[in-house]
Amino acid sequence: MPEPQWHTVATTAELPAGGRKLVSIEGKSIGLFNVHGEIVAVLDVCPHELAPVCRGRVSGTTLPSAPGEYCWGREGEILACPWHGWEFDLTTGRCLVDEKLRLRRYPVEVVGDEVRVAL
Amino acid sequence: MAAQPFIVDSDIHNVVAGKSIQHRLAEPHRSRFASGNRGPGHLGYWNPNGVMRADTKLPDGRKIENQPETLVEHVLEPYGISYGILNPGGMGLGLCPDADYANALLAAENAAIAEEWLTVDRRLKGSILVNPNDPEAAAAEIHRWGDHPDFVQVLLPSGARMGYGQRYFNPIYAAACDHGLPVAIHPGTEGVGLSGAPTAAGYPSTYFEWHTDLAGSYLAHLVSLVAEGTFQRFPALRFILVEGGVSWLPPILWRLDKNWKALRLSTPWLERPPSETVCEHVFLTTQPIEEPPRREQLHQLLAMFPAERMLLFSSDFPHWDGDTPDFAARQLPEALRARVLGQSAAELYGLPGVVHA
Repeated sequence: MPEPQWHTVATTAELPAGGRKLVSIEGKSIGLFNVHGEIVAVLDVCPHELAPVCRGRVSGTTLPSAPGEYCWGREGEILACPWHGWEFDLTTGRCLVDEKLRLRRYPVEVVGDEVRVAL
Repeated sequence: MAAQPFIVDSDIHNVVAGKSIQHRLAEPHRSRFASGNRGPGHLGYWNPNGVMRADTKLPDGRKIENQPETLVEHVLEPYGISYGILNPGGMGLGLCPDADYANALLAAENAAIAEEWLTVDRRLKGSILVNPNDPEAAAAEIHRWGDHPDFVQVLLPSGARMGYGQRYFNPIYAAACDHGLPVAIHPGTEGVGLSGAPTAAGYPSTYFEWHTDLAGSYLAHLVSLVAEGTFQRFPALRFILVEGGVSWLPPILWRLDKNWKALRLSTPWLERPPSETVCEHVFLTTQPIEEPPRREQLHQLLAMFPAERMLLFSSDFPHWDGDTPDFAARQLPEALRARVLGQSAAELYGLPGVVHA
């Protein structure tokens, strides 16, 4: 395995809290998200039907609750695919409806005001 | 001077600003309210992701689905699709209680399709939108467009006042057969306007429930068409169940045949097991193809009816539950792929195999 290469792809100013930026690294479309101050990088491919998942809504979601009750939480942590609405936890990459599915995540480091992604 | 009378007005209509309500709501109701909650036919059913896919806006601000040129460039060409059948919004207008208004809108939309879409690229084929609740007007609209080379089917909403086998609809089928056009139904209007409730158990609560129940509407129409003898009255009629699901079909065919053996006396025009008639006259589209836990389970289902003849690929672009051709192909057994992806539809619609845009 070759060593991963670090790529500088954004500045911290481009990714304020709740922000998003789509970048291309080595021909791959990758989404950067600032989730509560932590920047995460995920491949822009949904594991379901290969949709550009990073173009979807980022919001919270309804947490498990009793019938007829709604409990909203995880605000800013959930990415919903723009095609079929499957929800993914940006903090882990896991799909909320199928624990076997997850988004491909890449290491991120912030050096000064530069956001770097390892591929 | 008379004393000022004591007055109480018992009916004044004030208006409370939406924003005053919105910020008092908890999620997910707040997002639903803010979205305008445009559910099917404004019934109030809410798809939290929106019914239309969120990623079809091009950098120039246009949406892919809004122009023929962009549909060809961004849907047909990237996936190597030779032809696309257009089933535009508005197909359910016939559920408007005012038939004259509905007929006028449907005629205008058909003209717009003919003049602004079918002229642009011959890979795009049209559906004649008609009003099922005014069958004579529907037949006239079919005759108006029936010999146009690029209208390839008649389209009805599957939300309906009664089963599509009822003789009330016969003028539509007669007109379609006059022009050799198949008749298709498409979901989305169950419970809307003049249609019956979305299910035999009334109105479901959520979009999730409503959408899952759509198969029930299809089942009712299919059994109606069979039992009423529609295919005996119209031997040339071909009927397409668009977006109604696939996996429910085999057990219904078995149930039809079993009941026919005992009850044939009440439908003497059914001279053969009904499943045989269905398999000759009826077609289904793939999307949203069921995704069972193991793919071989879908393959087993597809072996229970002549899928190589009846099943047609469909993407449903740009709706939230669409399937791309490559995804659909991966779900299918290899022996079915060529037939389902294109050959069966080319035969049904009379589409030549070689395309010149």
